[in-house]
Amino acid sequence: MSSRRSSRSRPSAPSMITDDQINDLVSKLHQLLPEIRNRCSDKVSAARVLQETCSYIKSLHREVDDLSERLSELLDNTDSTQASIIRSLLMQ
Amino acid sequence: MSPSQQPSSHNPTCLIKNRFAHRFVRALNNLNIKNRSPHDENQIYRRSHRVKIAAYAAMASVVGSKRAWSRAVLWKVRNRSRNQGLLVSSRRKRVDCKSKTSNDHHAKVSVVRRRNPNPKREDLDPFRYSGQELKLRKLVPGAATMDSCCLMDETADYIKCLAAQVEVMKTLVDFYTTT
Repeated sequence: MSSRRSSRSRPSAPSMITDDQINDLVSKLHQLLPEIRNRCSDKVSAARVLQETCSYIKSLHREVDDLSERLSELLDNTDSTQASIIRSLLMQ
Repeated sequence: MSPSQQPSSHNPTCLIKNRFAHRFVRALNNLNIKNRSPHDENQIYRRSHRVKIAAYAAMASVVGSKRAWSRAVLWKVRNRSRNQGLLVSSRRKRVDCKSKTSNDHHAKVSVVRRRNPNPKREDLDPFRYSGQELKLRKLVPGAATMDSCCLMDETADYIKCLAAQVEVMKTLVDFYTTT
């Protein structure tokens, strides 16, 4: 990552980043989000993208919590040899 | 019931998913969850918490130290386990010998706690970090002090890996519920 210099300097920001670079990265993030992609809107504001990103990350965290709860319950009820079966399946 | 033949060499996400699946299943094996049969809410919560930590740690170890977020997660997990081990041993020592030596051990315990390589700055500059960006910095591990460009980059990578992690976990849950 080379050093970034901005065309217009911000008064108190210590790091000089161009707005174009930020826009590029924001659009990259935009591509990764599921909801906005389906709506196929080309111009979305950076704030909207950030907001959607935050809510997407929160929903992913909630899913991980929920899935780990279910997994821990299921693992308690199954035989431990099945885990090695899965591993051998995955190794193929 | 053979697994689908995916060309994992062509798709980096597939590669991540496979590696994560390996490590996660191995970690689950080591957790020794069965035969504990918890009857109270606390035990149940702790069991699912351990699975969750194992999942995050497995994903972070797959990514390795290439990314700031994975480094932050690995640091947190290792520090947590180290502190838990120290707390247990210090408690035992306190019970055994109530003398001057216990004070020395307390001093040792406080020193061993390593300096956090990803410090959370409480006095964030409001011009730089404001609104949505601040919320994002709180969600992505290790993102509190990096600049905006790196933040976006790390967030994109973090989201990709999280989504892959969720997919693999869903597959595992489906597998266990159908067999």
